[in-house]
Amino acid sequence: MRNESPVILDPTDERAPMGRQPAARPARLDGPLGIIDIAKARGDVFCDEVERLVRERLPSVDVIRLRKPTYTKPAPGDLRDEVGARCRAVIQALAD
Amino acid sequence: MSDLPAAGAEAPAFSLTDRQGATLAFDGGAAAGATLLFFFKHDCATCELTAPLVERLHRALGPHGLRVAGVSQDPEADTAGFVDRHGLGFDVALDADLTVSADYGFDAVPALVLAGAARRVRHSFEGFARQDLVALIERAAGACGVPAPAIIREEDGLPDHRPGCGSKVHDPEVARRLAVRRGAATLGARRVRIPVDDDPFEFMASQGLDDGLPVVPPTEARVLRMLEGTTRPASEVVAHVPPNLAPATVEKVAINAVMAGCRPEYLPVVIAAAEAACTDAFNLHGVLATTYFATPVIVVNGPIRRRIGLNCGGNVFGQGFRANATIGRALQLLVRNVGGGRPGEVDMSTLGQPGKFTCCIGEHEEVSGWEPLHVERGFPAGTSTVTVFAGEAPRAIRDQLSRTARSLGASMGWCLETMAHPKLHRMGEVLLVVSPEHARTFARESCTKADLRARIQEVTARPLRELLPDDECQKGMALGTLPPEYLGPDGRPTAEALDTPLPKFRRDDDILIVVAGGTAGKFSAMLGGWASGAAGSTAVTREITGQRPVRNALQTR
Repeated sequence: MRNESPVILDPTDERAPMGRQPAARPARLDGPLGIIDIAKARGDVFCDEVERLVRERLPSVDVIRLRKPTYTKPAPGDLRDEVGARCRAVIQALAD
Repeated sequence: MSDLPAAGAEAPAFSLTDRQGATLAFDGGAAAGATLLFFFKHDCATCELTAPLVERLHRALGPHGLRVAGVSQDPEADTAGFVDRHGLGFDVALDADLTVSADYGFDAVPALVLAGAARRVRHSFEGFARQDLVALIERAAGACGVPAPAIIREEDGLPDHRPGCGSKVHDPEVARRLAVRRGAATLGARRVRIPVDDDPFEFMASQGLDDGLPVVPPTEARVLRMLEGTTRPASEVVAHVPPNLAPATVEKVAINAVMAGCRPEYLPVVIAAAEAACTDAFNLHGVLATTYFATPVIVVNGPIRRRIGLNCGGNVFGQGFRANATIGRALQLLVRNVGGGRPGEVDMSTLGQPGKFTCCIGEHEEVSGWEPLHVERGFPAGTSTVTVFAGEAPRAIRDQLSRTARSLGASMGWCLETMAHPKLHRMGEVLLVVSPEHARTFARESCTKADLRARIQEVTARPLRELLPDDECQKGMALGTLPPEYLGPDGRPTAEALDTPLPKFRRDDDILIVVAGGTAGKFSAMLGGWASGAAGSTAVTREITGQRPVRNALQTR
């Protein structure tokens, strides 16, 4: 039986992960809308259809089409910057 | 070897409690007079011989300013017996955890240290030596400004020399504890105290630190022991581990290696695997995040395989071999704990595979007729390396009938064509693990790896028209994966392109070949790759550095 509490070394990076809080969902779409294709097969087909529906139902909203270079890696910094600078909201297609 | 401070050196300060619980400090500054320290243990014959002499010196010079302090290496009860037996009138402190004895560095007791102002040592020795004792008495008297008293009497019948008894500091259990105490100060990781009523294994599981199997609690002693396996400093950052790109020090790698069950001599392999996996080329973030089956498959080459008992033979992908099982697991735990890659979060694999617990093999270089993987990839044969490959689980290539390289190469090619999907050609890397019996078939005809790769490409080459999506099977090659010259102005493949045979792999060199496994059995294995190339993951080889011989680890706690 143990008579004292054992001490272990922390195997983690010891930093609480940064909370990834998404921006508040806008009440309505009234600004530039980004549609991001993550570059998976047939993602463009899906994004085309989304764009068609947006233009049909929200003709006043500007649509900006964006595309990741590859689905296998996180979006590069310049693409993230572009989203932040140009888009009020984004729709991202996540699968094939 | 004794490190007892010699004349002229500064004696370490200390503060202990005496037998009554009062503080006994030796921290004299410049104004302090002479002090004689007498280290002893109760069951030492040489200490028995010396104690009466020290008591006489105390009585003779105490009134003139000599302070005598005994330091016992024993618990109170044994110390009391020794003190009473010799009628010791000077203060005696208890060095209960032996840290002061360790600081003084002597190998044997008794150890005597005469110090003057500012704890400057005037004379010291261990064991019994008449000449040393005479010198010490003279210097003690000199420090007190009186003639040397007659301490040694002829009727004592003292020998000229008598060796002392081993200091308790060198008892294996004490030595280990002291080493931990000293070494622990060099460790930077946050300490986590497990609640006294909790089972350590359950506690670690409850904190989400495991992979579903129990992990070894990484105590300070175990981590220090693990760090003995490498010459690299504990604070060195060896990688930034995805997905959080958190820095992994040698110490953090060691902690996770302890948890995985590694022995210290495996640590350099784990470090090298982490270095290789955390490169842009390997793209561990993608390997981790994909819904596919990929996971780091570790292939070890070079002399270290034999030194650490890494299995290269029978059941090489299977259970029962500690080095294989724990090295791969350590990398996975590192990714989980330091990188933050956990299933259901960043790790989104649809089905996963058993290799995501661990997957590490050695190449069976000794039975291969080919140059081993690391030599092919530019390293000297005598260098030890790890190669990480983002692979699926191994699948069987069965051929007990082929007796020629041409036939066996065809079998392998047709099996390899099923990687991912038979209609997907121009694929990236694959790992082909050739069994020793199959390797012999190739060796008999001096068939090189290049010959085998060419044969695989030859038998798998099919006209593009058979590889495109059609009504029979809607899966097939995407037009975007074809060379631009295959497409006409309408964006469709040209007639000529439709008749062009396409082999399974983009480049012959995408077929990585190693020999491994038992010497009986005409079965080889293939491990399909993931999205390979610049947009995906490419196999990476790293030299294993910082190896250090390690003593038997059976007593590590």
